[in-house]
Amino acid sequence: MFGLIVQKELREILTSPRFAATFGVVSLLILLAFFLGARSFNAEQERYEAAVQEQLRQLEGQTDWLSVVPTVNMPPQPLAALVNGIANDVGRSARVLAMGLLRATGSRYNEEPALAVFRFLDLEFIFLVVLSLFAILFAFDLISGEKERGTLRLAMSNAVPRDTFVLGKLTGALVALTLPLLIPLLLGSLLFVAMGVPMSGEDWLRLALIIVAGLLYVGAFLGISVLVSALTEKSSTSFLVVLVVWIIAVLVVPRGAVLLSARSVDVPTVDSVLSQQRRLRAQLMVEDQKAMQKFFAEQMDFSEGGDAQASIGRFNEFMAQQAEDRKAKLDELTARLEEERRNRQSAQQRVAFTLARLSPAAAYSLASMSLAGTALDLPRHFLDQVSAYQEGWGRFQKERTGSAGSGFRIIIATDEEREEPKAIDPRELPAFNYQPLSAATVFRQAALDLGLLALFNILFFTGAFVAFLRYDVR
Amino acid sequence: MEEDMQQPILEADNLSKRYEDGVLALDNVRFAVQPGTIYAMLGGNGAGKSTTINIFLNFIEPTDGEARIAGIASHKEPLKAKSNVAYVSENVALYPHFTAFQNLDFFTRLAGRRDLTRDDYAAALERVGLQSEAHDKRLKGFSKGMRQKTALAIAILKDAPAMLLDEPTSGLDPKAGVEITRLLGELRDEGKAILMSTHDIFRAKQIADTIGIMNRGQLVMERSVADLADQNLEELYVQYMAGGPASSSASSPEMEEAA
Repeated sequence: MFGLIVQKELREILTSPRFAATFGVVSLLILLAFFLGARSFNAEQERYEAAVQEQLRQLEGQTDWLSVVPTVNMPPQPLAALVNGIANDVGRSARVLAMGLLRATGSRYNEEPALAVFRFLDLEFIFLVVLSLFAILFAFDLISGEKERGTLRLAMSNAVPRDTFVLGKLTGALVALTLPLLIPLLLGSLLFVAMGVPMSGEDWLRLALIIVAGLLYVGAFLGISVLVSALTEKSSTSFLVVLVVWIIAVLVVPRGAVLLSARSVDVPTVDSVLSQQRRLRAQLMVEDQKAMQKFFAEQMDFSEGGDAQASIGRFNEFMAQQAEDRKAKLDELTARLEEERRNRQSAQQRVAFTLARLSPAAAYSLASMSLAGTALDLPRHFLDQVSAYQEGWGRFQKERTGSAGSGFRIIIATDEEREEPKAIDPRELPAFNYQPLSAATVFRQAALDLGLLALFNILFFTGAFVAFLRYDVR
Repeated sequence: MEEDMQQPILEADNLSKRYEDGVLALDNVRFAVQPGTIYAMLGGNGAGKSTTINIFLNFIEPTDGEARIAGIASHKEPLKAKSNVAYVSENVALYPHFTAFQNLDFFTRLAGRRDLTRDDYAAALERVGLQSEAHDKRLKGFSKGMRQKTALAIAILKDAPAMLLDEPTSGLDPKAGVEITRLLGELRDEGKAILMSTHDIFRAKQIADTIGIMNRGQLVMERSVADLADQNLEELYVQYMAGGPASSSASSPEMEEAA
């Protein structure tokens, strides 16, 4: 009996002209998402390689590592082309000064603002908007439509248990609306590879989980639609109700949650952090200048018979020490302010995401972005790595020049002693090896939202099941 | 006399239904439909005809009394009771994107008939008067009469001892009406116990063995068609709808006899 109802539901959905038309459009959009994603990745890869080459080219002919300020670039990630997340909004490069706050600049939308106008047609958007509507379109009248056609009365006039009937319908609809989507998704994946996007085994696993999250999300809207159709008498009413639920879940709740959290938790601005940092730096500079003048007056001996070279050596040592102390103080303040800002920001995000997760749309977006590595922690992850590079770069500079590159030095050389400065070897510049977020980290991040999506499915399908058991089939 | 000895297939036993809003839709209704007979329930909108059918199909539960199919109370053992009845509703659209064969295949299998072949489907459709070129066509292009015939074919193939028909000839063209009436006669002759609700006094008198008039939830009159042979049923119907002949508040000949 169950199999018969599943079979009928599959046949009814798959052979309907409505399915043929919408499935064609949906498939085309999915393929387009993979195609545009691959093109975008390739363009970003070219830009990245050009930026790295440009960096090396600029070092050519330079003679002092202390005057070098390397720029590091974030390489494009394949999955970011399918789930953009915030990848196009955040800076992809950072100038690595010897000390101080690091900022990522040069976001894609900043460089190509036209792209930001309509945003990308990525896989996440297609699941979030198009496929959820696709699920609604076929499930909003799953029960109420049967009632209107009189087929529900006819079916229930037989010795058919209600639970078997509704379970068969739910299963049939779920299979009919999710399994066919695997075809364009598979073709899209092949297209992605054919267009030269280098996908690692881990990337494939993450993409598979993104698709699972998407199908769970489609399933959640299917469940909501069936639930509503089992609570209403007319399909026109159920369509209206489901559409309102969709608007609230997809458009209102996620944005509303972010706005509410911004009102409930204050976060210091980056400008206020920078301003405090600048104030301390100016204060330290004044103090150090006084100390330098005092040192110069008391300890420098440029008199006849005095050892000028020894004085200069002492002065340089003093200045280097001063620079290190200043850096330590600035670093301490920066770290404290940054930590405070991060903590407040995390608290705000916790509030925002907790509220937003009331909607399956938010849970799906957060899950897919986490899995693609394009969630909110992307800029922090990038800057953490740049920060680690900054430390290595400071050590490299000191090793090569004897100075950390943040203080002043006096170099006196007579014409006879002066050597022609030697050009630096750009190839010695420490490489910036960007490591994307590890698989373990992204799976851990996505687990909550994947679990939530599964829970939404269980809740809505159980709700639909219970509602049908009480449904007036007359 | 022999008929009376038979166990009725459809029985309404002091059936009452009061809805949550307090409306008394059925008030102590009693009737029985024997095998090989057609019982026509006549009445206006809200008379209680649909409520009676809905209780037989366990779509709603009675407040009091029982509706029995083959001796089984439908609200106590609904699945067992429903396996003994075939139902044809008014305005059934069936599945518009399925062909007549596909609709038959689904509903007869749902009714537990998994032994039927395409030939059986074709024979049933031929029997109800649906031409063979329509058998493989989708129902979305069918007229109401063609859909009704398909629904009747489903009911025939279920091969249950009882049949419930809700306004089977309503809205049909005269030819389709005649065909369906003829078919119901054949089914009666095959031994089916048929309970039909209808507004159509003419067809009720033409086909039914017993006629019951319902008004405001009560069975206000029950007569065999033979008893009504010399009477103008239309006039009688109008009288009962208006409150009934003063002397005829009794609901059945049995009751009249008892009185």
